[in-house]
Amino acid sequence: MLKNYFKIAIAVLRRRKFFTFISLFGISFTLTILLVLTAFIDKVVGDNYPDKKRDRSLYVSRISMIGKGYTSSGPPSFYFLTHYAGTLKTPVKIAISSGFNETNTYVNNKKIVVNYKYTNAEYWDILEYDFLEGKAFNKQQVDNAEKVAVISKDMKNEYFGDVSSVIGQYIEADNVKYRVIGVVENVPITSYMTYSDIYLPYTVAKDGGYKTNKSYQGGYFGILLANSKDDIDKMHNEYDEMVKRLPITDKNYDHIYSHADPYVTSYVDSGDENHSGTFIAVTAISIFVFILMILPTLNLVNINITRIMERSSEIGVRKAFGASSHTLVYQFIVENIILTLLGGVIGVILSVIALQVINSANLIANLELTINFTVLFIGLLVCLVFGLLSGVYPAWRMSKLNVVTALKAQ
Amino acid sequence: MINLQNIEKVYRTDTVETLALNKVSLEVAKGEFLSIMGPSGCGKSTLLNIIGLLDEPSKGEIRIDDQKTANLSDKQLAQFRNKKLGFIFQSYHLINDLQVLDNVELPLLYRDTTAKERKQLATEALAKVGLSNRVKHFPSQLSGGQKQRVAIARAIVGRPEIILADEPTGNLDSAMGNEIMDILIQLNQQDGTTIIMVTHDENMAKKTHRLVRLFDGSQVQ
Amino acid sequence: MFKHLFKLIWNKKKQNFLLMSEMLVSFLVIFAVFTLIVYYYNNYKKPIGLDYQNLWVVDYNNTYNPKSTDSLNIFYENLRQTIKSMPQVKEISFCSDNVPFFQNQWTGDVHYKNASPSSDQYTVEDSYKNTLNMKLVEGRWFNKADAVAKTQPVIINEDLKEKLFGTEEAIGKLVGSEANKNDMRVIGVIQGVKAKGDYAPPRAAIYKRTDTGSFHWLGKIMIHVTPDADAAFEGRLYKTLANYMKNSNIEIEHMPNKLKSTNLFYVVPMIVTLIVACFLVINVALGLFGVLWYNINKRRGEIGLRRAIGASGRSVSSQLVYESLILATLSLIIGTFFAVQFPLLNVFSLQASVYIVAMLLSIIFIYLLVLVCSLYPGRQAAGILPAVALHEE
Repeated sequence: MLKNYFKIAIAVLRRRKFFTFISLFGISFTLTILLVLTAFIDKVVGDNYPDKKRDRSLYVSRISMIGKGYTSSGPPSFYFLTHYAGTLKTPVKIAISSGFNETNTYVNNKKIVVNYKYTNAEYWDILEYDFLEGKAFNKQQVDNAEKVAVISKDMKNEYFGDVSSVIGQYIEADNVKYRVIGVVENVPITSYMTYSDIYLPYTVAKDGGYKTNKSYQGGYFGILLANSKDDIDKMHNEYDEMVKRLPITDKNYDHIYSHADPYVTSYVDSGDENHSGTFIAVTAISIFVFILMILPTLNLVNINITRIMERSSEIGVRKAFGASSHTLVYQFIVENIILTLLGGVIGVILSVIALQVINSANLIANLELTINFTVLFIGLLVCLVFGLLSGVYPAWRMSKLNVVTALKAQ
Repeated sequence: MINLQNIEKVYRTDTVETLALNKVSLEVAKGEFLSIMGPSGCGKSTLLNIIGLLDEPSKGEIRIDDQKTANLSDKQLAQFRNKKLGFIFQSYHLINDLQVLDNVELPLLYRDTTAKERKQLATEALAKVGLSNRVKHFPSQLSGGQKQRVAIARAIVGRPEIILADEPTGNLDSAMGNEIMDILIQLNQQDGTTIIMVTHDENMAKKTHRLVRLFDGSQVQ
Repeated sequence: MFKHLFKLIWNKKKQNFLLMSEMLVSFLVIFAVFTLIVYYYNNYKKPIGLDYQNLWVVDYNNTYNPKSTDSLNIFYENLRQTIKSMPQVKEISFCSDNVPFFQNQWTGDVHYKNASPSSDQYTVEDSYKNTLNMKLVEGRWFNKADAVAKTQPVIINEDLKEKLFGTEEAIGKLVGSEANKNDMRVIGVIQGVKAKGDYAPPRAAIYKRTDTGSFHWLGKIMIHVTPDADAAFEGRLYKTLANYMKNSNIEIEHMPNKLKSTNLFYVVPMIVTLIVACFLVINVALGLFGVLWYNINKRRGEIGLRRAIGASGRSVSSQLVYESLILATLSLIIGTFFAVQFPLLNVFSLQASVYIVAMLLSIIFIYLLVLVCSLYPGRQAAGILPAVALHEE
């Protein structure tokens, strides 16, 4: 039976080539846009380089203080991360790093913009950067405030040019010379908690904020590592308890909020307790997807109805010879899903091309978009939803067709 | 009234040339009721189309009311059909999405009339065919005979001098067919409308003034 | 004739419903896109309010912390002299961290009578106006005498002036940093600066003059350089700054580059929206075209009949075009009803004119789209031979 439907579906598609073209165009382009979007989201929030231990890590990216008429929200301070978050019992380690900041350096009268980031030694234990050469700085080097640097592959190429090894060479940034001890694979800027061009021990920070700043806020991120996945909830709650007990030092504020959250939640954290960033992001994406899909769907429904009316005599004959409405609906939906899947295949091919173009345009450095299985799976799901959405109403209309009128129509 | 001289019609496809009409000459007087008979494919419908100015002959000349029709533009032809001719078809050709009254008004839409006039004329035409009680119905709610009566009302609403009927009873049983035939005869006798009817049915043809037989595109009688 | 067409459409409402909802949704999407375009264009047309070519920004952190304010001031005055003596430097001005085209933003309310609009708060020096080449519209800019003024002199931009005073005179009026506390006197009005780039409107802003303690917290230096200032000079400037402020991180940025990257925040979503909208429009156009085309094939009998009873080819084709335009009109009436809610309810606080222009443009666009999509099928209909069409069934 299915084979029979398949044959008819192909025959129908070939009969009205223009309509087939419109349907396939709509499906494949919608799918392409959705696939590029999901590839982007998947890359931005789903790519786990270099934080491969995501499933047992919680991220602290923000601390907010709320008072009457005053709101202050920003990354926590080094002091807060070491004295409060650092004394929790569940985390086995805590990685601390500053947000990346820009500075300049001038090589051969050429200006290079350098993003630098200060980290502690544990940072390199929790995050698993791929070292192309050398290694990270250790605790002793941090304690001694040694002027050493881990640099990214891009920075190596830009600063030193095409040389095989740069370990032991000096890189000048912010008017200070640092000895290069490691080169790591690039991280795209969208992973803002781990991105940088050069990584330096926090003890060499010029402003010394790590020891002088005793307030809660101050430009650092923390990553808490639990012993195992099972400890995540415990760690989350322990952190929340700790924040609740924080003494309020500034009389302008009466509440302090901060959470240790999984990566995605903390990535979109807006600092607003009432409107979670996840909610806003999900709503925005849903509205976009809805608008993107409603028009092609309406279009498909329209065309499908047209196709059905055109085939009313076929339907009449089938009914006259004993096909139930049920079977006819089934047949039409199968036909439609075949059409959508065909559009899906074209959509995937178009997406691959589109992603290639986006990658080669290099809009965001080091953000290599690829189609992976998640994306493919989502694409397949979208196809099915499309097929059903645009097939059900016309199929229902078809099943309601009166046999006599359907036959008379011809 | 209608004058055909040596009409020829040739249909050409890439490979085949078919002679649909071969030197047909015909004179129809005013007030005449003429029927055309012949087997399928003999060219009856082609002849009717040519008389109705829906199709052009390959050779020959048609005059209607002593007026040559060969060089008329699309717009002039349209006006000519609208004023002088009324059509009735075997399969009615009613517009399913319009009510009976709107269907009948249709020809009047293509000339200068007000909505009021249109309604009045259409109601009168419907009364003539005995369908005054079906004005608000849609074609799908009518029987075959009723549909054909609507089609007749539509044909006469513009008061044409000539009615061209293409197998008007072909889709109807004999009782209904006779009803339709009676209406046509009445139109011919009371209003003096010239009628040319293509038919398959000898009994219907017998009721008309004159019978023309066609065979393979040629006039045989 | 129109009544006749209305009847046709009305009696086919079930078939036309989907077509109409498609036009309706297209209208709403196009309306959104045009609103964005009109809004951006309006902003783009406004003057940017400063001369950003050859303007550099030095970002430093103030780590020099002597006990006395005097020695701090001497420290930075010396730096100013050093930089100013460089031949490539035309003008220099220290200022607060919130520089145009940067993310930093300091806002606070400014009070006058019942109005208290939120405004950008800038702290600037006397040389700021000339460094940025800002345009003074009324009154005067700060000068040395302002240091001893009894009430703090402030300068506002045109946008804040409009929000506070409307069309009234602004110069000489007292405004407050808190309600009922008229502690500042407006001495000048300047043209608004589009601090968020070309595509965002200038925001209400108030400028305050630096005082003797300001160097404790200022964080940026604006430098107007000559056109021949190159990377070599920038390197020298950098060294000078870094050697002078030993414990500070220094960064030099160029305002034209900063403007470009600020604009990207607006341009990229715009481009994505346009690509998606383009795709949707093509989709809708193809769909409309297909359905209209099919409808004409389905109505061959009707068209043949109309021709037989006296409709010319042209009148048949225009009938079909009119039919789709009437459909579009109906959808547009419903669509406009929704669209009008935006200016009425003041959603997104855009000017009503933006919505109205966008609405008109979208209406024209949809009409054109429908016209284009129905012209060809209409022409095809005109070409239907009645003799053939009437004998098909």
